[in-house]
Order: sequence, then C-alpha cells, then structure tokens
Amino acid sequence: MQEPELHDLSDDADYAASLQQGSASMMITRSDSGRSTSSSVPEGAEIVYSKDNVTIHPSQFASERISGRLRLIKQGSSLFMTWIPLKGQSTNARLSERERNLYTIRPVPFTDVRSIRRRTPTFGWQYIIVVLSSGVCVCVCVCVCNLLLKAVLLRIAFPQLYFYNGGVKEFLATIKQHIFIVRSLEDANVFLVNDFQNPLQKTLSSLELPVYIASGPSASVSDGGESSSYELQERIGGSIHDEIHRPSQNPGRQRHKSHDPARDLTIHVLEKFSLVTKFARETSSQLFRESNSNGYGAIERKNSSQTLLDVPHRPSTDAEIAPEPVPSDPLEFNKMTLVWGKPRQPPLGSEEWATFLDSEGRVMDAKALKKRIFYGGVEHTTRREVWPFLLGYHAYDSTYAEREYLKSTKKSEYETVRQQWQSISTEQAKRFTKFRERKGLIDKDVVRTDRVLPFYDGDDNPNVNILRDILLTYSFYNFDLGYCQGMSDLLSPILFVIEDESESFWCFVALMERLGPNFNRDQNGMHSQLFALSKLVELLDSPLHNYFKQNDCLNYFFCFRWVLIQFKREFEYKKTMRLWEVLWTHYLCEHLHLYVCVAILKRYRNKIIGEHMDFDTLLKFTNELSGHIDLDAILRDAEALCICAGENGAARIPPGTPPSLPIESENALLYAQDDEVL
Amino acid sequence: MPSRRRTLLKVIILGDSGVGKTSLMNQYVNRKFSNQYKATIGADFLTKEVQFEDRLFTLQIWDTAGQERFQSLGVAFYRGADCCVLVYDVNSMKSFDNLNNWREEFLIQASPSDPENFPFVVLGNKVDVDGGNSRVVSEKKARAWCASKGNIPYFETSAKEGINVEEAFQCIAKNALKSGEEEEIYLPDTIDVGTSSQPRSTGCEC
Repeated sequence: MQEPELHDLSDDADYAASLQQGSASMMITRSDSGRSTSSSVPEGAEIVYSKDNVTIHPSQFASERISGRLRLIKQGSSLFMTWIPLKGQSTNARLSERERNLYTIRPVPFTDVRSIRRRTPTFGWQYIIVVLSSGVCVCVCVCVCNLLLKAVLLRIAFPQLYFYNGGVKEFLATIKQHIFIVRSLEDANVFLVNDFQNPLQKTLSSLELPVYIASGPSASVSDGGESSSYELQERIGGSIHDEIHRPSQNPGRQRHKSHDPARDLTIHVLEKFSLVTKFARETSSQLFRESNSNGYGAIERKNSSQTLLDVPHRPSTDAEIAPEPVPSDPLEFNKMTLVWGKPRQPPLGSEEWATFLDSEGRVMDAKALKKRIFYGGVEHTTRREVWPFLLGYHAYDSTYAEREYLKSTKKSEYETVRQQWQSISTEQAKRFTKFRERKGLIDKDVVRTDRVLPFYDGDDNPNVNILRDILLTYSFYNFDLGYCQGMSDLLSPILFVIEDESESFWCFVALMERLGPNFNRDQNGMHSQLFALSKLVELLDSPLHNYFKQNDCLNYFFCFRWVLIQFKREFEYKKTMRLWEVLWTHYLCEHLHLYVCVAILKRYRNKIIGEHMDFDTLLKFTNELSGHIDLDAILRDAEALCICAGENGAARIPPGTPPSLPIESENALLYAQDDEVL
Repeated sequence: MPSRRRTLLKVIILGDSGVGKTSLMNQYVNRKFSNQYKATIGADFLTKEVQFEDRLFTLQIWDTAGQERFQSLGVAFYRGADCCVLVYDVNSMKSFDNLNNWREEFLIQASPSDPENFPFVVLGNKVDVDGGNSRVVSEKKARAWCASKGNIPYFETSAKEGINVEEAFQCIAKNALKSGEEEEIYLPDTIDVGTSSQPRSTGCEC
C-alpha cells in the first residue's frame, strides 16, 4: 500500500515541477528550517492522509481558485504537510507556472506549525488555516500597508485551504493520531500544535479571513485582452452602430453566421481581442448599440457630477427611456422586438384559462400555457388556480378529481406536521431552545412582512397568524433547513393569492424545493447563483464585468437581495406577483431571474461606470432602485438577453444552480451541520 | 498629530435579528420611528453629516441582516469599518449573550489592523418596552461585560422614543474618528508584542 503511494508522489509531474522552480518562487521557503526544504518525500515516509479538491482561493473570484491535493506524510516520528495544485482541473486552466509555485506547499514539518484554525463559514466551504510558528512578532504591526500584510502573512500562515469534498475532521483526526495537538481553550476551532502558551494567538486568529494572498498577479491574468476589446469597442462603435440597426431576418439565424460584410469585419477584429464565441459577436454588437443610444460618453460624463443618491428619485432618466430602439416601420418592428424581447400581452383571464383545460381539468398543452403566461402573466383572480401548477404542486396532467383528492390528503398531512409544534407545551418549550428561537425569529418577522397591505394590516390580523403557522410548520417539515429570513417574503404573496392555509403551505413547499438552497447554512445556493450571474455579465457585458472586477465587486453581493427573495423588495406587490409567475413558467430557461439581474445592471451600466461607483456606492444604488424599475421593460430585456445568450449562457450556469432542482447526491447532507471534530 | 483629512467614517451596526438595528439607524439619521421596518436582507446604509471641532464628516452607518446565517456576507460589508456598534435588546437575554459572537465575528471578518483597540460601542435597546418591566438584562450586567472587553462605551437606548440615540451616535462618531486617527500614526515597522494593549480610555466622556 505504501509503495505505490510513494511512487505516485515522486512521480508526480506537478510536484517535481514545483520543486524545480522552488527557488524562484515567493513561496514559504523556510531557510531557517533545514528539514522543510528537503526536495522530496523522505525515504521511508508514509502518506497517512491524502485529499483531492482541497482548494486555495487566491481572490474572491471563483475562476481563480486553485484545486489541489493535501497530504500528510509521516516519516519516523515527524509529520509533514504538503499541498500541490493539480493540473488538468478545469478551474486551474489559467494557472501560470509561477502561480502554481507561489501556492504550492512543500513538505512542512509540524514542528514548524503553531496552530490550525478551522472555520465553517455559512457561505462556502469549510476551511483551515495553518499558522506557522515563525514570524509571530511581526504580525501585530501589519496594520497599514496591504502589501506588507500580504508579505508578512506569507511567512506566518498558509492561505486558507478549502475542503470542497469535506475531510477537515479526518485531517485533524489524522494529525492527532501522530502528533500531540490540543484544542484551544479560548476557541474550540483552534488546534494548537506547539506553543500552547502563545500570548498572541488571538491576534493571529483575527488576521485570517479576508486576506486574498497575492491576488495581484492572478487578478491581472486576463486583463489585457478584455480591456483592450473595450477600448476597441469605443473606437469602432460608430460603424457597428450602423450595422446594428439592420438586424437579420430571423432571430434563430441571428445567432449564426451572417454574411453582412460590416458584421464580418467586426467579427474579424473582435476575434483578435479574444471575444471568440459566436454569441460574443452578437452581444458586443448589442452593447455598442446600447452604448450609443444611451449616449454614454458626452452626456453621461457631463452628468457624472450629480450624486448617486439623486438617482432613484429621478426614475425616468437616461436608462429608463433611451435603450428602446424606435422602430421606423411595422415590418421592422417585428424583427426588432424579436431581438429586444416581445411586448407583454394582457394577463391570462379565467375564460382563456378554461380553454387550456380539457373536460376533466387536465392542461392540454402545458408548453403553450407557460408561453402564454410568460408573455402576459395571469389575472389576479385566476392566479389561485394557476399558481399551484406553475409552482409544481399540481401536475399539469392531473384532473379536477385528482386535485380535489390531493387537496384533502395534503390537508391532513399538513395538519399532522402542524400538530407537531402545536403540541409543544409551554413547559416543554422551556427545555426546547431550538424551538423557542425558531419561533421567536418567525414571530419577529411575520409582524414586519407586508403589513402595509390590507390583507396583512392591523392588530391581531389572522393572516399574519397563518403566515406564522405555515412558516413554523415548514420549519418542522424541513427541520434541517428551518426558518431563515426572507422566507416570510416568499410566502406572503402565496398566502395572499391561495388564501387556504394548507394549500398555501404546499405551494410554499413546492417553491422551496427550488429556492430552499438560497437559505442553506453554507449559503451555497446564493453562492452559485451570484457566481453564475458574474459569468453571465462577463458574457453579456464584458466591459461592465471588467469594471466590477477592477472595483472589487465580483462577489455581486449588491444583487444579494434581488436573488435571495426574487426581487420581492424591488417591485410593488402586484408587480412582484407578475414577475414571479413569469419566472416560474421556466418557459425560456430556469434562470430568467439571473437575466433579469443582468438586464437591470445593463440598464444602469453607464451610470455605474460613469460615476465610478465603488462597492459601497453600488450596493446603495441597487438598494435604492427599489420601486423604480420598469418591470415590463426589464422583462423584455431579460428575455432578449436570455435568447441571445442561448447555450453560451446556459453553459455558464452550473448544474443544480437554484431554481434548478438540486442534483441528487450528497447535497442532501449539506443542510446538516457536522460540527464534531476530534 | 498631523491628521489626514478624513471625510468618511464607516460604522457597522451588528446584533441579533429584531433588536432594533434598522430603527436605531433611522431614528438617528431621520429622527423617525416606524413599526413597519422589514427585516433587513443583505445590508444597507444611511449617511449623515456630523461636525467635530469645525470639521465636517460623513457618517456612513451600515445596517446588516441579523440572522446568523447571513454573517458570512460580512467580509464584504465590514471592510474598512471605523467603529462597530453592537446592539442587543434589554428584554432578550439571548441577544445579549450573542454580543460576544458578534464581536468576535466582526473582528474575524473585518480584520481591522489593530483588533485589540478597535472601537466598539454597545447599545442596550428597547428600554421603553413595557415600562422596563419585561427587562431581563440589567444595566450592571451589561456594563460588566463592556468593562471586560476593554471598556467598551455603553448606552441604554430606545429607538422608538428616541432616548439616548443622539448621545450614543455622538460617541460612536467620536470613536470612529479616533480609530481613524490612531491608524494614521501607526507605523508599519512598529513592533508591538501585545503588552502595550492597554484598555482604551474608560468609555466615552460624552
């Protein structure tokens, strides 16, 4: 068993390469420790722990993550740790040799390790920080210069190692088998290796989190090409502008090669600037048109002295009016709307709804129905019947009778779950902290959910109590997920539309099948959506993407509220319901909400870039857009963007990204908090 | 001490869900109270101009989501903070017990340059509720905790009635300003092995 493992390591090309170039790298070459600089795994060593997919995040940007293999190697009574980046992983494709060397951890003896700090963030993966025993004194003074901080940290601790496939517990347990480690009295997540009396341990542990070690070199990797394409676009924008206003004959063909000479020329030039996909040509063309019609440049720059905070109070500025191309003749109009999203239709009424059903109540053509709702929504009085289908609570091919039957069985099922918490006595609750806390949180939130609406208005409003009962019942129905802020926002319109308590509950359950991951403890659902959003913006508006990148905004937290509760706080109640039913059709794609985000950002891109908004300002700006977004226009843009992005867009959204149904796997375990180590 | 012109002071308000973070911020900035505030999702901030010794500053007050599950967003929001306000509800022991978690989490995520001396201010809110009859955290207990954490200034407030809110934020602004100035004189080559981390001046003399 030992032999092949050892052979594997000494044969490892990555490992060998990292060693060869080790002297040139900045990596922790601890010259004061002769043992640690040995150039290979010592004779007679044994690999006692090996884990792949242990990843370093050099920056906040997911594509720059470096996946690698973490190992513990035992030789005699000494234990060593190594981490090497793995080649051939897609995320590592952009990794330069230099960066590989920078992050590689060559065998470090545990005699040089002071402590290991474990963290389980709610947002992301569990990770550890290995703090070395050297350089301790310097760390206290790293207060001013960021560069200095990075330099110092390189010598005192390794970057965070994220365990994508779990294994922290095993890692610590393995260490414990071989050397003496002890859990810190002050912090249960700190495991001390050598110096148990370290007076600066606190200081060290507080240094850990937001330091993206050596993000400089990695961040600049792809800057060149993209930024020059932006300049290029500015320069050739005029000629493209002309070409754009003659869109091709049909939207399907638009994504394919066109023989318009002007277009071909554009493509030719753009290709040199690495905008290589067919789609990118389309997008960049659109971008130019938008830039031109928005008048980015002279007008925007002139206005840039206006303060940001004024904006939402002037809703109908540039962005609201300008980008809609004014068609010159009806024939052109049809072609144009195919590019820019079709005009919305009147909502689906009860009579028309009836035409979609056969005599026994089955929806005959679900796709046609979804399409109809996608373009027009549903009249309010018809929503109660239609929403359960859109949410997936009712099957489209179910009959009236089947639905009636379902309703009664589900009602008793609901009551059973509700009884579980209703039967908890006051005495019992005193010894049931988790229940009390959960109930307390829900109680606090329902009384501040949509209270301005007459439906939830006033003291002792029964609907507020139903809201609470459903949420508390849900937190028992899905005890692992429990209750999380934002859920009351999602439930409120459902109860308002469906009215019946049990039916509302089951519709909410259906919605949470898809949106539940938004509320996961590790926030992986939000993480994957914001990541997908960043990839879509990169695809659909690379200058804006570059702007976010340069301004440290790629975490897209300024869209957090939009995504978490599906724009519930961004539109008035009626509009929210309209948006939701459109999103729930999944007619064009499951992730239209991300295209809605892109559409909104694109509407204000000139303002964002022109006013040099930093992260804080951008967050404030997006928050204050609430109530000032034109839903119909944004939906048309989102539709157009979704069509334009096509497969290229879909490819940028990782499988299982909400509201896609979760991929069946170990994900189910993610709800649970495994907090027992050692 | 020659001080760089600072115009923006960033303040973060933390504390359990429902202790009144949004209300405190709005009471201070807009002098308004409403029962209709929604649970904060993500984060938001308000700004207010404050004057100190003939200099004008913009106080940027960040209001954050109180549920523990959203703490990880802090990395982005706490960055560059000059002062952190820890809020609890005097009628909720749990919200008081959690102050320590909020403080630790802030220090980890904001990773201020000098965590030992980073200015915090603690507010015990909702003192108006039920005429004080439902109060479960005594002022003594709260002050003892504040003293144990390096003499954190402490205020008892009611965002609803506007009690002590102005005073508290005066102190917050003052501490935020002080924090910035200390940072300026802090030289990168200073070696501080932690022994000099004297408790900060006892509270706020305001």
